[in-house]
Amino acid sequence: MSEFKVGILSCSGEECLGGTISRLATRKVLEELKLVETVTLCLPLYLAGGEEERNFAKVFPTISVDGCNKLCAKRSTEKYSGKINGSVDVSEIIGTENALNTKIVRNKDLTEAHFKMVDKVAGEIIKAISRIPPDSYSGKTFGGCGCKE
Amino acid sequence: MNNKVKVIPCSGIGKVYGLMAREAALKTVLELCPEKAETICLARIVTGDKEVTDKIEGCDCITVDGCPQMCASKNVSIAGGRVIKEIKVLETVKEHKGKKFGSATQLEDSGEIVVSEIAGKIANIINQNN
Repeated sequence: MSEFKVGILSCSGEECLGGTISRLATRKVLEELKLVETVTLCLPLYLAGGEEERNFAKVFPTISVDGCNKLCAKRSTEKYSGKINGSVDVSEIIGTENALNTKIVRNKDLTEAHFKMVDKVAGEIIKAISRIPPDSYSGKTFGGCGCKE
Repeated sequence: MNNKVKVIPCSGIGKVYGLMAREAALKTVLELCPEKAETICLARIVTGDKEVTDKIEGCDCITVDGCPQMCASKNVSIAGGRVIKEIKVLETVKEHKGKKFGSATQLEDSGEIVVSEIAGKIANIINQNN
């Protein structure tokens, strides 16, 4: 198990399916990725919280996950917290038409096809994590596969 | 600017209560009051973009928060929205002690029941307001 932590920030947008997929894919990575420890933060805490929350992207190498090309999570993080280390735009993965679907947004309305989209986006988040340069890990040396003594 | 009440949840990603806030708001705007209410992505509000502050400024808003940080309420107020009611998920949850509601990823049946109750409360406020 790695001691290193990566931050993942989802837009969780409520207006369209892309937001739901971004939220679920982020949750999937948080729950299932074991090689690298992951942490998250509720995006609105940048304004509702304190300095600790606004330091998030300074403390953790951070990946933003946005449901549409407005890229609210990416832009908010760079505006309030710090530079991000990678970003995932769900609409580029599942298509803009799917991402901007305003009728199917609730979890209970999702079908198997939607959960496949979640898996695909989660895969892209993991790829983005793998591209983070080793020197981004809060001054620590990244042990790669974790087998380093 | 339209006259629809804006129902804006926190969608908190760390705990089940954030998901309950999100699902209750979405049930309200998509199923119970689609003609009278709509939602706006809270993440868009956080950006502070003029496009979204123009959309929310001076509008009647109902916020739905899953924890005492009250992110939805605070961010909507900062953006100039008129918060006519702050819904606190935990107030309804307290009436269902001992139940398992699910996780921040997926609700269990008890979670869906609480979501329906909260959505009903929001819909009542919207209907009284119109």
